Amino acid sequence: MKKQPKDLLFHASASSGKANPSLLRVILGSQTTRLDFGYAASSYYIKGGWITISPDTFLQVKGDSTPYLLKEAIGISQAPVKLKFKSTKDYQFFSLHFEPLPQKDLVFDMIEKLNGTPNDFNYYGIEIKLKNGVVVLV
Amino acid sequence: MLRNKMRPYPTLEQIVAACWDRLEIETKPNTIAKDIERMRMLPPVGFDAPIKFDRYHWGYVYTDPDFKIGNLDLTDADIASIRESLALVQSIGAGRIDEKFGHAMQKVLATAAEVFDQPQSNAASYLQTMSPPISRGFAHFELFSRACREQIPLSFVHYGYKKRKFTAVQLHPFLIKEFDNKWYLFGYSENHQEVRHFGFDRIYSPLLLNKPYKRFDQQTTFDLLANAHGVFPIPDKKKQRITLEVSSLITHYFEAYPIHNSQQIKKHADGTAKITLELVPTIELARLILWHGYHVQQIAPKWFADFTKALTL
Repeated sequence: MKKQPKDLLFHASASSGKANPSLLRVILGSQTTRLDFGYAASSYYIKGGWITISPDTFLQVKGDSTPYLLKEAIGISQAPVKLKFKSTKDYQFFSLHFEPLPQKDLVFDMIEKLNGTPNDFNYYGIEIKLKNGVVVLV
Repeated sequence: MLRNKMRPYPTLEQIVAACWDRLEIETKPNTIAKDIERMRMLPPVGFDAPIKFDRYHWGYVYTDPDFKIGNLDLTDADIASIRESLALVQSIGAGRIDEKFGHAMQKVLATAAEVFDQPQSNAASYLQTMSPPISRGFAHFELFSRACREQIPLSFVHYGYKKRKFTAVQLHPFLIKEFDNKWYLFGYSENHQEVRHFGFDRIYSPLLLNKPYKRFDQQTTFDLLANAHGVFPIPDKKKQRITLEVSSLITHYFEAYPIHNSQQIKKHADGTAKITLELVPTIELARLILWHGYHVQQIAPKWFADFTKALTL
């Protein structure tokens, strides 16, 4: 009988830019690959500004041109809709669910916009080593 | 229902309707069918209940009319006590932990009496406790309970209000603590390499992990909490004597509602008092003192008086 793939959790710590959300966790699941982010609004904007994620955001494994598309965004609006903050002290936890990456050692990028600006949520060189993963209990 | 002589042979649909009418439990016919099947099984899985489906009357019936579920020998007083407890929990719970507990206790009552002579939803009408709205993060209560009970490590994302920073935490939890309707999860944090506690309200997306549970000293935490008013000890301050000179008015309240087991009151002739506490100074204690305003006239030691005053600046 074939073994059912398990969801593997990886704690991460990556940021695409000083003012952008921090990547906190990656969960390689059989149905989706989930990326968890946290964002604390800055005082750059009067009311903390806004965040949104492009529905065209995708993951790409180094050495593989296959795009793994965004399936669901939880806790953040998908463009053109914006999640607007009410103050410079607001914060938001959100999760992005993509088509599942293969469960193997790999390095991948999350691309919101190809050749984007530092304001786009592009994250490069996220490394996954299966030996560091922890199985998530259902 | 199966003993009801007026309306014998209930169908699955009628039992479903009765569950809703009497217990406010929403269920489905196939769930009831499974429950009946389980009741028929031998103990400890089931009750060896002699229930059969009567095809002539098209409903369920006990083949042994004297059959009773279980061996709980509860008296009427026991049942009344359980109902009072249930009312209290419903009153305190207000959507927090009451639902699961209520169902569990109703099962116990059902085992003993098999019938509910009145809906339990009215049970708390004569009793009212502080019932604040459900707080953020409380939805994870059940998961945290399981993690503590079964010693399962957790991963979650934590947001620190002060540092304004998100962190992914791996915790080996062992205690859920409530203080002033704020809920905290205590455990050994792999990130911090020590026991830490995290407010439920700042925890996001907790996940149970399949990894070895780390064993470590928990007694220190229990001792600390037993010797503190609150969960936020002031850093580097050990258990010590704290004295307060309080007004005659507030003395009544300290007498009626001691804030710690160590509390001693030395009353003066004019009704004012010296309150002595032996505990680990906490931020919550300082806030409590501030809450009493001018009724607390002196605080010792001085560093604690200064600390308390600084909270107002």
